[in-house]
Amino acid sequence: MESFKFGQRNQQSQKIKIMKAIIVYILLGLISAMSTHAQSPYDAGMTEAFELWRNEKPTEAANLFERIAKAENDNWLPFYYASQVKIVQSFPMTQPAMKEQLLNEAQELLDEAKGQGGDEVELLVLQAMLHTARLTVDPAVYAMKLSPVITDLYTKASKLAPENPRLALSRTEWNMGSARYFGEDPKVYCPDLKDGLKLFEKEERSPMIAPAWGKERLQMLIAQTCEEK
Amino acid sequence: MRPLLILFLVLCSSILQAQQEISGRVTDKSNNPIAGANVYLQGTYDGATTDQQGNFFFTTLAGKKQTLVVSFLSFETIHKQMDVSLMKNIQVSLREDVTGLDAVIVSAGTFSAGDNSRVTVLNPLDVVTTAGVAGDFIAALQTLPGTSPVGEDGRLFVRGGTAGETKVFIDGLQVFQPYSASANNLPSRGRFSPFLFDGITFSSGGYSAEYGQALSAVLLLNTIDEPQQTETNISLMSVGGGIGHTQKWNKASLSLSSSYTNLAPYQELVPNKEQANFPKPYENLGGEAVFRRHSKNGIFKWYAAYDHTNLEVLQLNLDSPDLLEVGLNNRNFYSNISYQGVLGNSWSVYPGLSAAFSNNHLQINNLHVNTREVAANLKLKLTKRFHNRFKVHIGSEYVFRNFSEEVLTPENPAHTYEVQPDNFAAFTEADLNLSKNFAFKGGVRGDYMLLQEKVMFSPRISMALKSGKDGQISLAYGEFLQQAEIEQLKFDKSLQPEKATHYILNYQLTRPGSVFRAEAFHKEYGDLVKYDTPQPGFDSSYDNLGEGYARGLDLFYRDDESISNLQYWISYSFIDSKREYMNYPEEVTPQFIADHSASLVTKYWVSTLRSQLGFTYNFASGRPFEDPNKSGFMNGKTRNYNSLSFNWAFLLSPQKILYFSASNILGYKNVFNYEYASTLNATGQYDRKAITPAADRFFFIGFFWTISKDKAKNQLDSL
Repeated sequence: MESFKFGQRNQQSQKIKIMKAIIVYILLGLISAMSTHAQSPYDAGMTEAFELWRNEKPTEAANLFERIAKAENDNWLPFYYASQVKIVQSFPMTQPAMKEQLLNEAQELLDEAKGQGGDEVELLVLQAMLHTARLTVDPAVYAMKLSPVITDLYTKASKLAPENPRLALSRTEWNMGSARYFGEDPKVYCPDLKDGLKLFEKEERSPMIAPAWGKERLQMLIAQTCEEK
Repeated sequence: MRPLLILFLVLCSSILQAQQEISGRVTDKSNNPIAGANVYLQGTYDGATTDQQGNFFFTTLAGKKQTLVVSFLSFETIHKQMDVSLMKNIQVSLREDVTGLDAVIVSAGTFSAGDNSRVTVLNPLDVVTTAGVAGDFIAALQTLPGTSPVGEDGRLFVRGGTAGETKVFIDGLQVFQPYSASANNLPSRGRFSPFLFDGITFSSGGYSAEYGQALSAVLLLNTIDEPQQTETNISLMSVGGGIGHTQKWNKASLSLSSSYTNLAPYQELVPNKEQANFPKPYENLGGEAVFRRHSKNGIFKWYAAYDHTNLEVLQLNLDSPDLLEVGLNNRNFYSNISYQGVLGNSWSVYPGLSAAFSNNHLQINNLHVNTREVAANLKLKLTKRFHNRFKVHIGSEYVFRNFSEEVLTPENPAHTYEVQPDNFAAFTEADLNLSKNFAFKGGVRGDYMLLQEKVMFSPRISMALKSGKDGQISLAYGEFLQQAEIEQLKFDKSLQPEKATHYILNYQLTRPGSVFRAEAFHKEYGDLVKYDTPQPGFDSSYDNLGEGYARGLDLFYRDDESISNLQYWISYSFIDSKREYMNYPEEVTPQFIADHSASLVTKYWVSTLRSQLGFTYNFASGRPFEDPNKSGFMNGKTRNYNSLSFNWAFLLSPQKILYFSASNILGYKNVFNYEYASTLNATGQYDRKAITPAADRFFFIGFFWTISKDKAKNQLDSL
């Protein structure tokens, strides 16, 4: 290291060099402090949570989002993600009691996000997803009751923000599900899916600031439904 | 050396924020590890998720005293305040949350229908898509066990009780005239349109201390909290038409519905039997309104219903060669307001008020009877939740009922009778959930009857125990009382209330897509009203010395999943009941009891036809009747009752439905009862006539159209 090179020159120059070193260290400290500030605890926490989710640790991810949400307490986004993780996690579950319990938790988190004044359209879309997940618990019981509620939520959302790509994705996926149920070909929704893709291409934003998910899912749907094999 | 010092100083700055390790293990009460629990320090990001062994580990820079939070789904969240340095190898054991969905629910005597509950036996949609019920949900409830089909009456007869022993409540408030007006052996219907209601609870015994003046059963109807969308519904039917509209605003909504029924055109096409000849067929105009407003802390509801019925019928009169001319004109208005809200500090409040006005004019030849009833129910209930495991309800209600009757005959001066059996009551009840596997409910109700100046207490207890993953056993006991029927009380105001004691043992097995229930019951009746004349009259002598019992077994199985696109349920009831009441000389099985009754309801969705097809089969063993040509009392038995009904709902488009139904398609000749002449004929016998349905078969065609922005919505759920 540079500092070890100082020899026995004169006191004055030594002092200057020490001063210099201190300044360097302070600067270094500042820079490191700044860099951790640039990567604020919020961003770091959120990044870690997304990382956990990506690594298929949804429980850990939801728990971390929830911790961030509760520590921040004036930000709807971690509540939103915590809720979303649970909704996504619930879809493949088969045990009805556990599934409903998870969805009840997701609903509580979603209500918290609503209480923090989150983006209305994003919250409507997530609410519709939550109802869709609940419908799958027992379609015989829930379908008649929830289908119109879900459709209503999408109608409301599309009045507020017709260009929202997640709305386009989620609504089209819902319509495709209904079509499948009534024995129609979901292929008729391919133009809608492709329009949705254009909306995603227009949107550029960070998931730290607002929900930005959905493009990959849409691409997968197009590949599954619309591309000839 | 100086640089080292600097390095040391720099390091120190981070040591000042001393990093602490936090570790421990999370288990349930039986020491089984809980994986996936969220463990964290309140107000920080610092935390971890427990692993498969229930272990957690994380570090924090937070200082000194902190609150450690441990939460996991279906367990109660724990908060522990302690010094961070002590948070090492801590053992946390979580208690199960008894509000969880797989927790036990007291189910003795009660059928929950509708709502979002999974443990449902009948949802509102079922009520109306059941073949043979013609949109009447009182008729649909008669496909559940515990009810006795009494075709010539139409009202609910529950477990050996008369129709008057079942009380109906809307949003917690008593309804005084729940059935449409009807005359002599013509069945009445429920007054309410099923699609305004969402939660339907039918309790055939052992119900909560909140409900009084009902000996046998209560039917609790809750109006929909929030309608799904703004829409207009139009229906055209072979027997009339209806129009409904729902308007949704941000915080409030209003639903209006009205209907007009006239059987005249139908009877031109499909004439009734001779003994049910209508010079003026059944005509009914009805309307209902529900307004709801949500506020921050609760929901306010207003409900109102009006209907007007008239008819004229000529019936065979065994005591005279002339036909009996029966005319009926009825006007009925009912309204209630209620509020359900939270007060803070775990208190919630429910105040409500209902009022009813009913005017009935009945004419039999030249006898005219005008009856008028004015009634009101004021109720206040408070609930305090001490804990998820312990809740207490206290409440009070006042029921005002004024009934007056005027009888006009050409020979005699007008007679007027008036009676006002007001009732004040207070009740308290506690809900205790010791664990997910055991729930207890106990309460007591005190009734003060102003007419008799008498206070009576009715204790009620019920409990449930989980008996495996999907099964549970419930028990209920309760004492019930009810004022004597107005028809008797109007002549003798000193009559005491009638009493019943219920004992119920219930087993329920709930699996996804299916429910099985078996329920055994025993019921003791006491203080039943007796009189000494063929009909109750002003000159009869009355007492409260009657008694009786009812015991039996109800079975129910519903399956929505085993066969795709098919839903069905089967119910069977066995009842053994005898009573000595009215003018009975001895204890016998009353006329309205069928020992065995069963129903099979099926609904099949055929997507290629875009149709729902449904069949309902009803069976009831013969019912007793009194044959004066033979010795003994209640010595006859009618033939068994059989009926197979069919319906077909066809989706013309998602918003237009064509609906067809036919009852008793096999044309089985059903007989409900026999009526005998009061005088002997030339051969020394009493002549008789059979009481039968007005027509063996009934056909119905309807067209339903929903106009809304949401194109997928239709009226399939209001058929």
